[in-house]
Amino acid sequence: MKATKFLATLALAGLALGAMSCAKKAEVVQALDPNTPYEVTIGVYGDLEKAYVAVFNSPDFKAKFPKVTFKFQTSDFGGHHNRLTTVLAANERANDIEALEVGFIAQFVESGGLTDLNTAPFNARQATKDIVKFALANATTTKDSLIAMPVDIAPAVLFYREDLARNAGVTMDNLPSWDAYIDAMKKLADTKNGVFAIEHPAAVQAIPLNGGKGGWLKDNKPLEPKEKFLGALELVRKVKAAGVDGDLGAWSGPWSQAYIDGKIATIVNGAWFGGTLRTWLSPEPGKWRVAYLPGKMMASLGGTYLAIPATTPADRKPVAWEIIKYLATSPSAQLITFREIDAFPALTSVYKDPVMDEDVTFYGGQKVRRIFADVALNIPENKVSEFDNVILSIWNGAVSEVVNGTLSPEQAYETALTKVKATIY
Amino acid sequence: MQTIIRKSRKQGWYPYLFVSPFFILFCVFGLYPILYSIFTSFFDWKLIGTSAPRFVGLGNYTNVLTQDPFFWKALLNTVILLVTGSLLQHFIAIPLAIMINSKTVKGKEFFKTSFFLPYITSTVSVVIIFGVLFDTNYGIVNWLIGFVSDAAKIRWLQESFGIKVVLSVVLNWKYIGWNMVIYLAGLQAIPYELYEAAMIDGASTLRKHISITIPQLLPIIFFGVALSIIGGMQIFEEPFILTGGYEQLGGHQNSGLTAAYYLMFTAFKAYRLGKGSAIAWLIFLVILTLNGVNRYVTKKLEG
Repeated sequence: MKATKFLATLALAGLALGAMSCAKKAEVVQALDPNTPYEVTIGVYGDLEKAYVAVFNSPDFKAKFPKVTFKFQTSDFGGHHNRLTTVLAANERANDIEALEVGFIAQFVESGGLTDLNTAPFNARQATKDIVKFALANATTTKDSLIAMPVDIAPAVLFYREDLARNAGVTMDNLPSWDAYIDAMKKLADTKNGVFAIEHPAAVQAIPLNGGKGGWLKDNKPLEPKEKFLGALELVRKVKAAGVDGDLGAWSGPWSQAYIDGKIATIVNGAWFGGTLRTWLSPEPGKWRVAYLPGKMMASLGGTYLAIPATTPADRKPVAWEIIKYLATSPSAQLITFREIDAFPALTSVYKDPVMDEDVTFYGGQKVRRIFADVALNIPENKVSEFDNVILSIWNGAVSEVVNGTLSPEQAYETALTKVKATIY
Repeated sequence: MQTIIRKSRKQGWYPYLFVSPFFILFCVFGLYPILYSIFTSFFDWKLIGTSAPRFVGLGNYTNVLTQDPFFWKALLNTVILLVTGSLLQHFIAIPLAIMINSKTVKGKEFFKTSFFLPYITSTVSVVIIFGVLFDTNYGIVNWLIGFVSDAAKIRWLQESFGIKVVLSVVLNWKYIGWNMVIYLAGLQAIPYELYEAAMIDGASTLRKHISITIPQLLPIIFFGVALSIIGGMQIFEEPFILTGGYEQLGGHQNSGLTAAYYLMFTAFKAYRLGKGSAIAWLIFLVILTLNGVNRYVTKKLEG
């Protein structure tokens, strides 16, 4: 009897706690007081801290925010997002500002937990007119709330080894189609000597899907239009059939060694990958070049957003917003971040800056930034949804089936569609 | 007498005070989450966000059992790995323990330490290293196979069968030492007189082990198998790391997707806490059933 009462009390306590955790407090956010000193906490991943420290040490920033200091909480990519998820799930206080990679944006867009920046006193709409539209669309809910501000983006391009292309007698610039790319890859590859045209057939699968960032649901129907998704799987099949890939899993030991040894001729990736090549995989200048994707396809493969968690105290939100606004809309901050870590600006006004027309030594003097900027301006808008992660995991299964030849693209598509429907409906 | 009663009354609450830290911690970090997960399993409950949980009754359970395209596959994978990874260990650990327990073996401590070492090695490191060993193009396993066969390289980590083989190898390698130590402790408790009597009767070594060692070890085997079932049904880290995490969902054809892996994906990647809780309780029921079978078989064997 006592045990029953105890368990009943415990269950009630659980209910109460659950209800409390779901309760939403009404809050009034005041405008920023410029005379108050603040220590703003920022949660970031990877090398973002390096870039932001450089921004915060710049004379322009110091003149604008003399009384603001910072405390960083930096983790690796996965650790950062796991921490943020845990803290938000517990409805606990996170850092004043939290960074989010575009792949994680979908999780938060419709679920809440982050402050709507389109409301007063933030009024983000006034500040976002020069931000690339596709990135804003990714962070905007169906009710037109902006839950995070894009600060950097990753326009997708084709990186290729100029020396290998020259030796093979192929031109990688302005390839008219994916078929032309596959033909070029056949000439580039020398598989007997361990030279591969591309790391893995799956490396191209996300490109026709705008990098897999959003667009998985169209009018609430998954994997539509069918032709787009089927086209992506067909592309994977063709690349695999060409026999030019190294069958290398991205970021594995053999994968990095292949780049270090100069055994990979091309890669389709976001602009940020240039930084990876320059600082780690292939530091010698002059070997790599950049071209538009085949058929001048426009896609995004990454990007960073800054958000204010809903649990940030109301009196700290204004300063958090001002810092986010500075990082996203100040040309100085955007260019410093670009210089420091190759994170391409989300602010379109800096695309007119002379730095975008500079020759880049690493790419043999090529004006690659102009290509990045052009792609950035033309990336199509896609809506993200709370199901994106689930659909992406199922989609990767379909790609694996095509790569392994266990299913045709059509069969893989239908299988994936059935699984997605059974999972999300 | 009165003094003793008065004294014991005065000290009456001390024992409770001394044991209370465990019970407080258990209630907060053990019992409460367990009960709370039953509660959440009846709701459509998002891990993140401000939307209120919606009561769905047994909806999560019926969804998992009748609609979900991954649960049964994950459960089947888990049972296969339970047999080839977790239970197979016992057929290796028992002979190994018998060998090390033999009086003729020198350097027992060295062998015990060596076999136990994988158990205390970081799972992440172990799985990454096994991933390199079984790499299609650069792995030492395919390189060695190349000496005896001209057949095409085995794509261990990209094919369904290969993924299960590698996972089984990792699980056996990591946990055989642990089981061996348990059996070694059991063997040392068997009276040596029994073996002496058998020796006088002219029993062979094999007969001695079949007629003395195994029957005497049955309670330990039950314990070891029970632990293997509990652990085996909750395998997560090994397939998660080996097959590429949540984005790959167990690799090709979800071959490495285990029940615990899918539970973690549902709750912490798809953020469906209610459905995740339902999966957790279904796994618990499977563990309970399998251990019931284990108990029944052991009882039968004990006669």
